[in-house]
Amino acid sequence: MSISKCSKCDSESIIFLHYVCKHLCAKHFRELFEKRFRSTVREFSMIKKDDRIAVGLSGGKDSTVLLRCLHELCKDLPMELVAITVDEGIDNYRDATLRIAKRETKKLGIEHKIVSFKKEFGKTLDTIMKKDGSLPCSYCGVLRRGLLNRGARELGADKLAIGHNLDDVAQTTLMNILRNEPDRIARFMEPQIKHPSFITRIRPLLRTPEKEVAIYAMVRGINIDHQECPYAQSAFRQIVRRQLNEMEECHPGTKFKILGSFLSMDKIMKMKSEKKLTACSSCGEPSAGKTCRFCEMRASFF
Amino acid sequence: MKLFLDGRLKKLNHTGTVSALLKKLKVSREEVVVKLNGRLAPETASVLTSDKVEVIKVVFGG
Repeated sequence: MSISKCSKCDSESIIFLHYVCKHLCAKHFRELFEKRFRSTVREFSMIKKDDRIAVGLSGGKDSTVLLRCLHELCKDLPMELVAITVDEGIDNYRDATLRIAKRETKKLGIEHKIVSFKKEFGKTLDTIMKKDGSLPCSYCGVLRRGLLNRGARELGADKLAIGHNLDDVAQTTLMNILRNEPDRIARFMEPQIKHPSFITRIRPLLRTPEKEVAIYAMVRGINIDHQECPYAQSAFRQIVRRQLNEMEECHPGTKFKILGSFLSMDKIMKMKSEKKLTACSSCGEPSAGKTCRFCEMRASFF
Repeated sequence: MKLFLDGRLKKLNHTGTVSALLKKLKVSREEVVVKLNGRLAPETASVLTSDKVEVIKVVFGG
Protein backbone atom coordinates (compact mmCIF):
# COMPACT_ATOMS: atom_id res chain seq x y z
CA MET A 1 0.00 0.00 0.00
CA SER A 2 1.04 3.58 -0.51
CA ILE A 3 -0.33 6.41 1.64
CA SER A 4 0.12 10.19 1.24
CA LYS A 5 1.69 12.32 3.95
CA CYS A 6 -0.19 14.75 6.20
CA SER A 7 -0.31 18.30 4.75
CA LYS A 8 1.07 19.60 8.08
CA CYS A 9 3.74 17.05 9.02
CA ASP A 10 5.56 13.93 7.82
CA SER A 11 3.14 11.42 9.34
CA GLU A 12 0.88 9.21 7.23
CA SER A 13 -2.48 10.68 6.30
CA ILE A 14 -5.64 9.06 7.69
CA ILE A 15 -8.12 11.32 5.89
CA PHE A 16 -8.28 13.50 2.81
CA LEU A 17 -10.53 16.51 3.30
CA HIS A 18 -11.87 17.01 -0.22
CA TYR A 19 -13.49 20.37 0.62
CA VAL A 20 -10.11 21.96 1.41
CA CYS A 21 -7.85 19.52 -0.54
CA LYS A 22 -5.82 18.58 2.55
CA HIS A 23 -4.43 15.36 3.97
CA LEU A 24 -4.36 15.05 7.76
CA CYS A 25 -2.69 12.57 10.11
CA ALA A 26 -4.46 11.38 13.27
CA LYS A 27 -2.88 14.12 15.45
CA HIS A 28 -3.72 17.01 13.13
CA PHE A 29 -7.19 15.65 12.36
CA ARG A 30 -7.94 15.51 16.10
CA GLU A 31 -6.67 19.07 16.49
CA LEU A 32 -8.88 20.34 13.65
CA PHE A 33 -11.92 18.47 14.97
CA GLU A 34 -11.62 19.80 18.52
CA LYS A 35 -10.81 23.35 17.37
CA ARG A 36 -13.92 23.36 15.17
CA PHE A 37 -16.04 21.97 18.00
CA ARG A 38 -14.93 24.71 20.39
CA SER A 39 -15.24 27.50 17.83
CA THR A 40 -18.82 26.39 16.98
CA VAL A 41 -19.76 26.53 20.67
CA ARG A 42 -18.28 30.05 20.84
CA GLU A 43 -19.70 31.27 17.50
CA PHE A 44 -23.29 30.56 18.52
CA SER A 45 -22.77 31.34 22.24
CA MET A 46 -24.11 27.87 22.94
CA ILE A 47 -22.85 27.48 26.50
CA LYS A 48 -22.40 29.95 29.35
CA LYS A 49 -20.15 29.34 32.35
CA ASP A 50 -21.83 27.06 34.94
CA ASP A 51 -24.68 26.09 32.58
CA ARG A 52 -26.32 22.74 33.31
CA ILE A 53 -26.26 20.89 30.00
CA ALA A 54 -28.40 17.83 29.30
CA VAL A 55 -26.95 15.72 26.50
CA GLY A 56 -29.39 13.73 24.37
CA LEU A 57 -27.38 10.51 24.41
CA SER A 58 -28.62 7.74 22.12
CA GLY A 59 -25.31 5.91 22.40
CA GLY A 60 -24.71 6.29 18.65
CA LYS A 61 -21.46 7.81 17.38
CA ASP A 62 -22.66 11.44 17.22
CA SER A 63 -24.05 11.77 20.73
CA THR A 64 -21.25 9.68 22.24
CA VAL A 65 -18.59 11.89 20.64
CA LEU A 66 -20.59 14.99 21.65
CA LEU A 67 -20.64 13.85 25.29
CA ARG A 68 -16.89 13.15 25.25
CA CYS A 69 -16.08 16.56 23.68
CA LEU A 70 -18.35 18.46 26.10
CA HIS A 71 -16.80 16.60 29.02
CA GLU A 72 -13.36 17.72 27.87
CA LEU A 73 -14.56 21.29 27.30
CA CYS A 74 -15.55 21.39 31.00
CA LYS A 75 -11.86 21.87 31.85
CA ASP A 76 -11.87 25.31 30.17
CA LEU A 77 -15.54 26.20 30.38
CA PRO A 78 -16.99 24.93 33.66
CA MET A 79 -20.43 23.41 33.15
CA GLU A 80 -22.50 20.62 34.64
CA LEU A 81 -23.29 17.66 32.39
CA VAL A 82 -26.19 15.23 32.63
CA ALA A 83 -27.34 12.75 29.98
CA ILE A 84 -30.75 11.53 28.83
CA THR A 85 -31.36 8.44 26.74
CA VAL A 86 -34.68 7.61 25.12
CA ASP A 87 -35.31 3.89 24.69
CA GLU A 88 -37.84 3.71 21.85
CA GLY A 89 -38.09 -0.06 22.08
CA ILE A 90 -36.54 -1.20 18.79
CA ASP A 91 -35.61 -4.88 18.88
CA ASN A 92 -32.06 -5.86 17.92
CA TYR A 93 -30.96 -2.23 17.71
CA ARG A 94 -31.43 -0.03 20.77
CA ASP A 95 -29.97 -2.49 23.30
CA ALA A 96 -26.44 -2.16 21.89
CA THR A 97 -26.43 1.68 21.92
CA LEU A 98 -28.10 1.72 25.34
CA ARG A 99 -25.16 -0.31 26.64
CA ILE A 100 -22.72 2.21 25.13
CA ALA A 101 -24.64 5.13 26.70
CA LYS A 102 -24.50 3.46 30.13
CA ARG A 103 -20.81 2.62 29.71
CA GLU A 104 -19.84 6.18 28.66
CA THR A 105 -21.76 7.97 31.42
CA LYS A 106 -20.36 5.59 34.02
CA LYS A 107 -16.83 6.08 32.73
CA LEU A 108 -17.14 9.88 32.78
CA GLY A 109 -19.12 9.99 36.05
CA ILE A 110 -22.14 11.71 34.49
CA GLU A 111 -25.71 11.45 35.84
CA HIS A 112 -27.76 9.41 33.36
CA LYS A 113 -31.55 9.36 32.99
CA ILE A 114 -33.21 6.73 30.79
CA VAL A 115 -36.78 7.21 29.62
CA SER A 116 -38.68 4.74 27.47
CA PHE A 117 -41.64 4.74 25.10
CA LYS A 118 -42.86 1.61 26.88
CA LYS A 119 -42.98 3.34 30.27
CA GLU A 120 -44.29 6.68 28.94
CA PHE A 121 -46.85 5.44 26.41
CA GLY A 122 -47.30 1.79 27.37
CA LYS A 123 -46.05 0.81 23.91
CA THR A 124 -42.69 0.40 22.22
CA LEU A 125 -42.01 1.87 18.77
CA ASP A 126 -42.09 -1.71 17.43
CA THR A 127 -45.64 -2.15 18.82
CA ILE A 128 -46.80 1.22 17.47
CA MET A 129 -45.41 0.33 14.04
CA LYS A 130 -47.24 -3.01 14.03
CA LYS A 131 -50.50 -1.04 14.18
CA ASP A 132 -49.47 1.79 11.89
CA GLY A 133 -46.34 1.02 9.89
CA SER A 134 -46.24 4.35 8.09
CA LEU A 135 -43.72 7.11 8.80
CA PRO A 136 -41.76 5.48 11.66
CA CYS A 137 -39.14 8.26 11.69
CA SER A 138 -41.80 10.98 11.97
CA TYR A 139 -43.45 9.23 14.93
CA CYS A 140 -40.18 8.42 16.59
CA GLY A 141 -38.67 11.88 16.02
CA VAL A 142 -41.63 13.78 17.45
CA LEU A 143 -42.05 11.50 20.48
CA ARG A 144 -38.31 11.37 21.16
CA ARG A 145 -37.94 15.17 20.98
CA GLY A 146 -40.89 15.55 23.36
CA LEU A 147 -39.39 13.14 25.90
CA LEU A 148 -35.95 14.74 25.62
CA ASN A 149 -37.35 18.22 26.25
CA ARG A 150 -39.37 17.06 29.24
CA GLY A 151 -36.47 14.98 30.59
CA ALA A 152 -34.06 17.91 30.28
CA ARG A 153 -36.52 20.17 32.10
CA GLU A 154 -37.00 17.62 34.89
CA LEU A 155 -33.22 17.42 35.27
CA GLY A 156 -33.10 21.20 35.67
CA ALA A 157 -31.04 21.71 32.51
CA ASP A 158 -30.43 25.13 30.96
CA LYS A 159 -29.72 23.65 27.51
CA LEU A 160 -30.26 20.39 25.67
CA ALA A 161 -27.24 19.38 23.57
CA ILE A 162 -27.95 17.12 20.61
CA GLY A 163 -25.57 15.35 18.26
CA HIS A 164 -26.80 16.84 14.98
CA ASN A 165 -23.87 17.05 12.58
CA LEU A 166 -23.31 18.93 9.31
CA ASP A 167 -24.95 16.17 7.24
CA ASP A 168 -28.08 16.23 9.45
CA VAL A 169 -28.44 20.00 9.14
CA ALA A 170 -27.83 20.03 5.36
CA GLN A 171 -30.37 17.19 4.92
CA THR A 172 -32.96 18.91 7.11
CA THR A 173 -32.56 22.19 5.24
CA LEU A 174 -33.03 20.47 1.86
CA MET A 175 -35.99 18.42 3.15
CA ASN A 176 -37.73 21.55 4.41
CA ILE A 177 -37.22 23.24 1.05
CA LEU A 178 -38.41 20.16 -0.88
CA ARG A 179 -41.52 19.96 1.32
CA ASN A 180 -42.13 23.72 1.11
CA GLU A 181 -41.95 24.13 4.89
CA PRO A 182 -40.05 27.40 5.40
CA ASP A 183 -41.48 27.73 8.92
CA ARG A 184 -39.45 24.70 9.95
CA ILE A 185 -36.28 26.37 8.67
CA ALA A 186 -37.11 29.42 10.81
CA ARG A 187 -37.69 27.18 13.85
CA PHE A 188 -34.63 24.96 13.45
CA MET A 189 -32.18 27.19 15.32
CA GLU A 190 -34.28 27.74 18.38
CA PRO A 191 -32.23 29.92 20.71
CA GLN A 192 -34.16 33.05 19.73
CA ILE A 193 -37.53 31.50 20.59
CA LYS A 194 -38.35 31.69 24.27
CA HIS A 195 -40.92 29.65 26.17
CA PRO A 196 -40.63 28.71 29.84
CA SER A 197 -41.05 24.96 29.26
CA PHE A 198 -38.89 24.78 26.16
CA ILE A 199 -35.27 23.87 26.79
CA THR A 200 -33.01 25.57 24.25
CA ARG A 201 -31.32 23.03 22.01
CA ILE A 202 -27.69 23.38 21.03
CA ARG A 203 -25.83 21.57 18.26
CA PRO A 204 -22.07 21.81 18.78
CA LEU A 205 -21.39 19.36 15.89
CA LEU A 206 -23.25 21.61 13.44
CA ARG A 207 -20.10 22.27 11.37
CA THR A 208 -18.74 18.71 11.50
CA PRO A 209 -19.31 16.25 8.63
CA GLU A 210 -20.83 12.96 9.82
CA LYS A 211 -17.98 10.84 8.47
CA GLU A 212 -15.49 12.91 10.47
CA VAL A 213 -17.45 12.19 13.67
CA ALA A 214 -16.96 8.46 13.01
CA ILE A 215 -13.26 8.90 12.24
CA TYR A 216 -12.80 10.98 15.39
CA ALA A 217 -14.42 8.20 17.45
CA MET A 218 -11.96 5.71 15.91
CA VAL A 219 -8.96 7.99 16.47
CA ARG A 220 -9.97 8.41 20.14
CA GLY A 221 -10.61 4.68 20.57
CA ILE A 222 -14.29 5.24 21.39
CA ASN A 223 -16.07 1.95 20.76
CA ILE A 224 -19.04 2.60 18.48
CA ASP A 225 -21.84 0.33 17.31
CA HIS A 226 -22.13 0.45 13.52
CA GLN A 227 -25.69 -0.83 13.20
CA GLU A 228 -28.40 0.94 11.26
CA CYS A 229 -31.87 1.55 12.72
CA PRO A 230 -34.17 -1.04 11.06
CA TYR A 231 -36.73 1.70 10.32
CA ALA A 232 -34.25 4.09 8.68
CA GLN A 233 -34.60 2.71 5.15
CA SER A 234 -38.14 4.00 4.84
CA ALA A 235 -37.30 7.61 5.65
CA PHE A 236 -37.49 10.43 3.10
CA ARG A 237 -34.25 11.57 4.70
CA GLN A 238 -32.49 8.52 3.23
CA ILE A 239 -33.25 9.67 -0.31
CA VAL A 240 -32.04 13.19 0.45
CA ARG A 241 -28.93 11.79 2.17
CA ARG A 242 -27.97 9.69 -0.86
CA GLN A 243 -28.50 12.55 -3.31
CA LEU A 244 -26.61 14.97 -1.09
CA ASN A 245 -23.67 12.59 -0.80
CA GLU A 246 -23.57 12.21 -4.58
CA MET A 247 -23.46 16.01 -4.90
CA GLU A 248 -20.75 16.22 -2.24
CA GLU A 249 -18.62 13.73 -4.21
CA CYS A 250 -18.96 15.76 -7.42
CA HIS A 251 -18.78 19.17 -5.73
CA PRO A 252 -16.86 18.93 -2.43
CA GLY A 253 -18.04 21.51 0.08
CA THR A 254 -21.71 21.31 -0.93
CA LYS A 255 -22.83 20.47 2.63
CA PHE A 256 -20.93 23.44 4.07
CA LYS A 257 -22.52 25.69 1.43
CA ILE A 258 -26.01 24.42 2.31
CA LEU A 259 -25.28 25.11 5.98
CA GLY A 260 -24.10 28.61 5.03
CA SER A 261 -27.28 29.22 3.03
CA PHE A 262 -29.37 27.90 5.91
CA LEU A 263 -27.71 30.21 8.43
CA SER A 264 -28.21 33.21 6.10
CA MET A 265 -31.87 32.28 5.49
CA ASP A 266 -32.37 31.72 9.21
CA LYS A 267 -31.15 35.23 10.00
CA ILE A 268 -33.45 36.83 7.41
CA MET A 269 -36.44 34.73 8.43
CA LYS A 270 -35.94 35.46 12.12
CA MET A 271 -36.10 39.16 11.33
CA LYS A 272 -39.36 38.75 9.42
CA SER A 273 -41.02 36.06 11.52
CA GLU A 274 -43.46 37.12 14.18
CA LYS A 275 -44.49 33.60 15.14
CA LYS A 276 -43.96 32.62 18.76
CA LEU A 277 -44.24 29.29 20.53
CA THR A 278 -47.37 28.88 22.65
CA ALA A 279 -48.40 26.27 25.21
CA CYS A 280 -50.18 23.19 23.82
CA SER A 281 -53.84 23.23 24.87
CA SER A 282 -53.63 19.55 25.82
CA CYS A 283 -50.31 19.01 27.64
CA GLY A 284 -48.95 22.52 28.16
CA GLU A 285 -45.67 21.74 26.39
CA PRO A 286 -44.32 24.32 23.89
CA SER A 287 -46.08 24.16 20.53
CA ALA A 288 -46.15 26.04 17.24
CA GLY A 289 -49.91 25.39 16.94
CA LYS A 290 -52.90 25.02 19.29
CA THR A 291 -52.11 21.34 19.94
CA CYS A 292 -48.54 20.04 19.73
CA ARG A 293 -47.47 17.27 17.32
CA PHE A 294 -46.57 15.08 20.33
CA CYS A 295 -50.21 15.06 21.53
CA GLU A 296 -51.54 14.66 17.97
CA MET A 297 -49.39 11.57 17.45
CA ARG A 298 -50.06 10.18 20.91
CA ALA A 299 -53.82 10.51 20.29
CA SER A 300 -53.51 8.76 16.94
CA PHE A 301 -52.23 5.49 18.38
CA PHE A 302 -54.61 5.25 21.36
CA MET B 1 -6.18 -8.29 -1.71
CA LYS B 2 -8.37 -9.39 1.19
CA LEU B 3 -11.51 -7.25 1.21
CA PHE B 4 -13.98 -6.99 4.09
CA LEU B 5 -17.18 -5.05 3.47
CA ASP B 6 -18.97 -4.35 6.77
CA GLY B 7 -17.14 -7.27 8.34
CA ARG B 8 -17.96 -9.76 5.58
CA LEU B 9 -15.25 -11.18 3.35
CA LYS B 10 -15.85 -10.31 -0.34
CA LYS B 11 -14.18 -11.80 -3.38
CA LEU B 12 -12.79 -9.01 -5.55
CA ASN B 13 -9.52 -8.34 -7.31
CA HIS B 14 -8.38 -4.76 -7.21
CA THR B 15 -5.15 -2.86 -7.43
CA GLY B 16 -5.19 0.92 -7.53
CA THR B 17 -6.61 3.60 -5.31
CA VAL B 18 -9.16 3.16 -2.53
CA SER B 19 -11.29 5.70 -4.36
CA ALA B 20 -11.44 3.46 -7.46
CA LEU B 21 -12.23 0.48 -5.25
CA LEU B 22 -15.20 2.31 -3.67
CA LYS B 23 -16.49 3.19 -7.13
CA LYS B 24 -16.21 -0.46 -8.14
CA LEU B 25 -18.18 -1.42 -5.01
CA LYS B 26 -20.74 1.37 -5.72
CA VAL B 27 -20.17 2.73 -2.22
CA SER B 28 -20.19 6.46 -1.46
CA ARG B 29 -16.92 7.70 0.02
CA GLU B 30 -19.07 10.00 2.20
CA GLU B 31 -20.59 7.03 4.01
CA VAL B 32 -17.66 4.74 4.72
CA VAL B 33 -14.35 4.63 6.50
CA VAL B 34 -11.55 2.52 5.02
CA LYS B 35 -8.84 0.69 6.93
CA LEU B 36 -5.75 -0.60 5.14
CA ASN B 37 -3.97 -3.35 7.04
CA GLY B 38 -5.80 -2.27 10.20
CA ARG B 39 -5.02 1.47 9.89
CA LEU B 40 -7.30 4.32 8.81
CA ALA B 41 -6.49 5.40 5.27
CA PRO B 42 -7.58 8.20 2.89
CA GLU B 43 -9.27 7.39 -0.44
CA THR B 44 -6.13 8.48 -2.27
CA ALA B 45 -4.16 5.52 -0.83
CA SER B 46 -3.11 2.75 -3.22
CA VAL B 47 -3.98 -0.87 -2.58
CA LEU B 48 -1.70 -3.79 -3.40
CA THR B 49 -2.69 -7.42 -3.83
CA SER B 50 -1.15 -8.34 -0.47
CA ASP B 51 -3.19 -5.73 1.48
CA LYS B 52 -6.11 -6.29 3.82
CA VAL B 53 -8.84 -3.73 3.11
CA GLU B 54 -11.80 -3.06 5.43
CA VAL B 55 -14.67 -0.90 4.22
CA ILE B 56 -16.87 0.09 7.16
CA LYS B 57 -20.21 1.85 6.74
CA VAL B 58 -20.39 4.61 9.33
CA VAL B 59 -23.06 6.98 8.00
CA PHE B 60 -26.65 5.96 8.53
CA GLY B 61 -29.98 7.63 8.19
CA GLY B 62 -33.00 7.60 10.41
